Amino acid sequence: METGSIALVLNAHLPFVRQPDYPRFLEERWLFESLSETYLPLLRLFAKLEAERVPWRLTMAVSPTLASMLGDALLRERYAAWLKDQLELADKELARTAGDPVFHPLAQAYRDLYQQNYDDFTVLHGGSILPAFDFYYKKGRLELMTSAATQAFLPIYRQYPEAVMSQVEAAVVSFRSAFGRPPSGFWTPQLGWYPGLEETLAAYGLQYSVVATRGAMLGKPTPRHGSYAPVACPNGFTNFIRDVAATEAVWSETEGYPADPAYRDFYRDIGFDLPLDYVGPYVEQGQIRTFTGFKYWAISGRSQEKLPYDPDLASAKAVEHAENFLYNRARQARKAAAHMERPPLMVAPYDAELFGHWWHEGIQWLEALFRKAQGTSELRFVTLGEYHKQHPENFESVPEFASWGDGGYAGVWLEKSNDWLYRHTFKLIEYMTELAERFPNESGLRERVLNQAAREVLLSQAADWPFLLRSGKSGSFARKQIEDAVTNFNRIYEMLCANTVGTEWLTRLEKRNNVFPAINYRIFRRKR
Amino acid sequence: MNVERLNDLSIEALYALAEKMGLDLPPALERIFVVEALIEAFQEDSDERKSSGDMAIHIEEKKFSGSELDEIDASLDAAPCIARRYNETVVHWIPRDPEWAFAFWDVKDEELNEYERSGSYGGLFLRVVRSAGGDDKAAVSFDVPVNDDDDHWYLHLPEQDRYYRLDLCVRIAGKAKVIAHSNVIRTPRAILADSFDELEPEARALAELSGLSKLRIQAPPERHPSRIMGGYDD
Repeated sequence: METGSIALVLNAHLPFVRQPDYPRFLEERWLFESLSETYLPLLRLFAKLEAERVPWRLTMAVSPTLASMLGDALLRERYAAWLKDQLELADKELARTAGDPVFHPLAQAYRDLYQQNYDDFTVLHGGSILPAFDFYYKKGRLELMTSAATQAFLPIYRQYPEAVMSQVEAAVVSFRSAFGRPPSGFWTPQLGWYPGLEETLAAYGLQYSVVATRGAMLGKPTPRHGSYAPVACPNGFTNFIRDVAATEAVWSETEGYPADPAYRDFYRDIGFDLPLDYVGPYVEQGQIRTFTGFKYWAISGRSQEKLPYDPDLASAKAVEHAENFLYNRARQARKAAAHMERPPLMVAPYDAELFGHWWHEGIQWLEALFRKAQGTSELRFVTLGEYHKQHPENFESVPEFASWGDGGYAGVWLEKSNDWLYRHTFKLIEYMTELAERFPNESGLRERVLNQAAREVLLSQAADWPFLLRSGKSGSFARKQIEDAVTNFNRIYEMLCANTVGTEWLTRLEKRNNVFPAINYRIFRRKR
Repeated sequence: MNVERLNDLSIEALYALAEKMGLDLPPALERIFVVEALIEAFQEDSDERKSSGDMAIHIEEKKFSGSELDEIDASLDAAPCIARRYNETVVHWIPRDPEWAFAFWDVKDEELNEYERSGSYGGLFLRVVRSAGGDDKAAVSFDVPVNDDDDHWYLHLPEQDRYYRLDLCVRIAGKAKVIAHSNVIRTPRAILADSFDELEPEARALAELSGLSKLRIQAPPERHPSRIMGGYDD
């Protein structure tokens, strides 16, 4: 008899890093690496599970910026070219490690991976992987959700309903354009929730989301089923609740599964380990060391020298960890079930790019989870939509403002390294609202200008920028993205005030920041 | 960032990095000391972040894998300069967590000059106004003096689950004059909405199984008339 259900939720997101003005661009690698190690391997996993009739269910949010980049012709072309470079490096690695019984097979595995990626991407998927995700969506195995347009951390913008609505509307439009139907689920970026958000989400036909455990438990009134069943807002919008134990088993950097010594080390990479004259053509500008994706070492124990990576040992460990995860969830479900009138649900939300990219064996772990679960009737994997249909009535409670960030609130996106940016993003919203009020019925060139202004406002709000400023990683890049958006917006504002539009400049900007092609600037009109 | 990578950087780049890390180093410091200070700051920053709880964020960083120059460079030209302020009289604030809110403000140059020229200018201050349910009835407040060149502060708020507004004020001839109002914010709850004695035993058990202790969430004390009546000025 079924004791409980598990809903695995992956958030696939990257900020808009398309830079057509540069022949090569470091941050575009984020997309290429995620395609190579997460998105394409995930699609291979889905095909394998289907072929072998292994039951599986997964919910996945595809952020609008990621969807835009995955559908972009220039980036698709650049990814194929990048894969060719990777294959060239793989060939060099095969030659360099020839005769080495430990490292040569690893080099061969990387060559096979990149060849497989090249073949899948260019031939099987014809350069576009979104239809492949849609295929499993239509089959009901994979549920796709949307997320805020540029993953703005919504609680910070709650005083500007126009800004929150524009993030939601652009997301819904983008989803419909990519998958041909409206989304039911909405991934609130960073699980950042505030009371009242349900009104905006429901207004766009969205039905459910996932919230942080903290926010749900601090909700009013206290949820009747803890985190083991969703809660419904008075307007019917449903919030699924992150399960602390299920997510911690994977998230914890020191004690989570990915920290096991047998797994591949993320940091040791030939981009940093080998001479620059060897790796030069494959790193940034031929001289700035970067990750190449060729990693030969295991995490290894703290007190020992790094050991060479052993894929067989790591695969066995992934299976062991999948068994452990299921064992612990079954135990957890049994405890909770004793207090519930319906099987408890454990919602495990993760960043998609954790799997395969950082946790190299993460995709194998997912595979083992589904395979092992089919042998037990105790636990069942469900999508959020499936569960929502089965259990439309839920305890009424409105979650409190919270997030899954450090400290549980807004501290990651609002601290000394990044708080300066809100003076600008708030001002942009105010100016944009003013423009939408002044020019409510524009068409032609002026409408294009106003739509581009709205794009720049959204781009400035990406939660990735304050996140990167705080982490110190690519901080200058993040700062430049904000400053560019502010500069572009201000130029448009000045042009409109002076009643002159630089067509050539506008066209160039539209081509560069080509995200949200169907945006409607009027969403910024003041709500009355 | 490690010693080897820092050693590859110029002294100017090291100083730039120190500034970004918030280190106030004396000028013309020997290179070895700058590197030492940076390593120490990186370590402290890393320890602070590791001990701060939720690991989701640390994992998320990994997808933004970068270069050896992550901390000081990007792969593109210098960003255009943007104005630091908009020369307007305004005050905003954003709740960060149950205890703190971020306030930022500005005063139009012409307006500030006028106050200063008046001869009776007594400086700027912020007035934190706690209002009941978002309106100003039964409002109570306290003042926080700020310098003319300050433009942002984190303010500690005394109570969770309360509404607050911020007034930007100027003191003229000993009298307070409000020159801008902020939006009203609400501090989130940090304890359960219901006390344990109000929850059914099943709900209480499930709340505990949901990781309350891990999240360090506590239930409010048992309801008592004197607590209900208690308020801001207790």
